[in-house]
Amino acid sequence: MSGRRIVVTSGKGGVGKTTTTVNVGAALAKRGQKVVLVDADIGLRNLDLVLGVEKRIVFDIVEVIEGRCQLRQALIRDKRFESLSMLPAAQTREKEAITEEQFKAVIVELAETADFVLIDCPAGIEHGFRSAVAGASEAIVVTTPEVSAIRDADRVVGKLGALKIPLRLIVNRVRPEMVKTGDMMSVEDVSEILSAELLGIVPDDEEVIDTTNRGEPIVLDETQRLAAIYDKIARRLCGDVVPFSSLDGPGFFSRLKTMWKAG
Amino acid sequence: MQAFDQPSGAGAPQTAPPLGRAIVVTSGKGGVGKTTTTANVGAALAARGANVVLVDADVGLRNLDIVLGLESRVKFHLLDVLEEKATLDEALVRDKRSETLYLLAAAQTREKEDVDTGQMKALIESLRARFDYVLIDCPAGIEMGFKNAVAGAGHAIVVCTPEVSAVRDADRVVGLLPNDWRPQLIINRLRPGLVKRGKMLSVDDVNGILRLPLLGVIADEPGVIVATNRGEPLALDMGSETGAAYRAIAAKLAGEDVAAPTVRPSGGFFSKLGSLFGGR
Repeated sequence: MSGRRIVVTSGKGGVGKTTTTVNVGAALAKRGQKVVLVDADIGLRNLDLVLGVEKRIVFDIVEVIEGRCQLRQALIRDKRFESLSMLPAAQTREKEAITEEQFKAVIVELAETADFVLIDCPAGIEHGFRSAVAGASEAIVVTTPEVSAIRDADRVVGKLGALKIPLRLIVNRVRPEMVKTGDMMSVEDVSEILSAELLGIVPDDEEVIDTTNRGEPIVLDETQRLAAIYDKIARRLCGDVVPFSSLDGPGFFSRLKTMWKAG
Repeated sequence: MQAFDQPSGAGAPQTAPPLGRAIVVTSGKGGVGKTTTTANVGAALAARGANVVLVDADVGLRNLDIVLGLESRVKFHLLDVLEEKATLDEALVRDKRSETLYLLAAAQTREKEDVDTGQMKALIESLRARFDYVLIDCPAGIEMGFKNAVAGAGHAIVVCTPEVSAVRDADRVVGLLPNDWRPQLIINRLRPGLVKRGKMLSVDDVNGILRLPLLGVIADEPGVIVATNRGEPLALDMGSETGAAYRAIAAKLAGEDVAAPTVRPSGGFFSKLGSLFGGR
């Protein structure tokens, strides 16, 4: 078995890479997929916090690579989802502590026993980005509908293209009311600028701040509207055709729907 | 040490004055508002009559030009100056709205590893000779780009949002800054309503961990996104409360005695936060 190796990246920081990694991963696990989340942000790790496992970290990826522990010893199994586990980054080390080849070897090994390995990429396009991408065979690019985020995403899309890594786009933190008033770019605009296939549209939801601080993936609570949205993203990743039109109120996504039908 | 062109533009001093202050705006975590802070604090300082230059240190992922609405005027960038392909005067872009506000853009199609820490130091030093304030917009992370951005500075503003992950990253960055800097803190994107309902960290929660002198608190408001997309800093909008908060920060930086920012009630809700920083 060799699972899919997907890097979650963005260029710009703070657009929701870690939140996306955790929630898409949890949604996949909920559907019975075996998922490993890897925090590639050495020195500034946060995936453990968002997943709520920070107190259970014993070993990290750098210690695995340096041979101080077995890979399976460093993996932390989530208590809510049987088939979800995570590999933490080192907090007090530098990104240069591991090479692209070493990182890739760990990811490939993880993929031998998992359906999905999701790699949470650090912000920027420096060494940490190159390592995170080295292990991936496909990519999810996360962006928000802001000029600066899109410009950075465009840069990353270019780099992924040069590496021949196929990618799909998640537009995060969309505020339909601002799009309506012309104060925010539409999803259609964003996807067109980046000429990337859409994987998901996630509305801005203040509940995310709270669930992130608590370390509880929002997909845990099925009453949350975002839970259904991340589930749809998970289904699309698994190959299901899930229309975008039904996920929010009428009007806003109607333009998108026609685009989707046409394409 | 590399030599740079002598001052001649509007920002030039008449006689040798004391060097200006070089302040790096940093955070560790991305997307917390470093660039927005740099643009707004810089615009507010310039509006007070100070000579200000904003330096985009995010080589490869520049955005300060967009936030200032100057992207179409950028002809040369920081690396062009370091590599002597352009003079400093050619590379400095004057703001549309202010006579005393300038931008030195980052290269977009280059890598952070192309900049050398020593060169960066020399460049910032030459800027300090002709500007009162040199604000350096640091990239996210703590890699080479961070090191270069910090190299020439003598002060730091740490920007943090009321989120556990941002606080952890800010704490890490403070630990990497020189001990004698005493960085000042701006808490960005606070939503008082959420704090009241116990769903967001309070100013006290955040600074209970970081323990830095508080320079300002900026509320979360959609107006910031709109202003950023339009390239118009809110600091210049006299009707905006957020603009007023940025102007108060500028006044405080300039040494004025400004009342401490309103501190919201603390919940003690996020008790898990404290345990995060005791471990490894």
